[in-house]
Amino acid sequence: MDHDNLGSDETRLDTLFAAYRDACPDPEPSANFMPQLWQKIEAREQTSTIFGRLARKLVTAALALSVVLGLAVSLSSMAALPSESYVEVLAEDQARESLDYFEPVHIEPVADQH
Amino acid sequence: MLVEFELIKRAQEGDGAAFNQLVLAYRKRILGTIARLIGHPEDVEDVGQEVFLRLYFSLDQLRSAEVFEPWLYRLTSNAAYDYLRKRRRRMESRMADLSEQQVVMADALASEKVDRDEGQRKRIREAVDSLLDGVSEEDRVLLTLKEVEGLSLKELGTIYHVKENALKVRLFRARQRVLKAFATARKHAVGASDSRH
Repeated sequence: MDHDNLGSDETRLDTLFAAYRDACPDPEPSANFMPQLWQKIEAREQTSTIFGRLARKLVTAALALSVVLGLAVSLSSMAALPSESYVEVLAEDQARESLDYFEPVHIEPVADQH
Repeated sequence: MLVEFELIKRAQEGDGAAFNQLVLAYRKRILGTIARLIGHPEDVEDVGQEVFLRLYFSLDQLRSAEVFEPWLYRLTSNAAYDYLRKRRRRMESRMADLSEQQVVMADALASEKVDRDEGQRKRIREAVDSLLDGVSEEDRVLLTLKEVEGLSLKELGTIYHVKENALKVRLFRARQRVLKAFATARKHAVGASDSRH
């Protein structure tokens, strides 16, 4: 019984799909179809051109900024470098350390208890 | 093929006149397919223009002119799919909303009892549209291409780059869901009509 119903529903659905196909024939395109299509194409081309230009400008600006930043960083690190050579700096540092060890000892005179 | 391969190649190279000829050759067929895929005649031209717009900007990606038609069908089903998704977001109409009148009409149509004037055509579109609203947009497009457009599994496989067996399973499940909705709606309609008498 259920199988029969299912079978008849299958057939009815097929018939409905066929009726749907007839109810939606290939429509005749309107006279505006092609002009509107070309307008849309041109509009999208313009948008992509504008975005393309904008993207190119952004890339150029980003490149320029990175060059400027790179220069700034390298200049600042150069300024921070000591003018003396490594050996001189090392020697100076060692001298400072050794002075710490050889600081003159201040000896308090021992007061006479008597 | 409705056009020569040479015309497609010329359009691919940026020849505007060739592209124009290509659109003129295919637009009626494509508009018909869209009409049946979306079921809303008022939006068919817009979706059709979107298809050819996508074609214009993607024609350079077409590897060979031989696969032009499946490519165009793919663009068409994608544009229809996008339209259906947007529309679903706008109005969450479901299978359950299938009005009694629409079901009675669908039933009567299935029995070939009515004349098909424009008003009735509209109701058929609405009835099928409501039924197909019960499946996902992907399944709806696939089901319409198979059941209404009459494309073979092989053709669908070429369009979607999917194996035939996977398509068969998907189509079977989609059809079962629509069939179930159809049976339920008919039962409701019969019940409502019995209670009136």
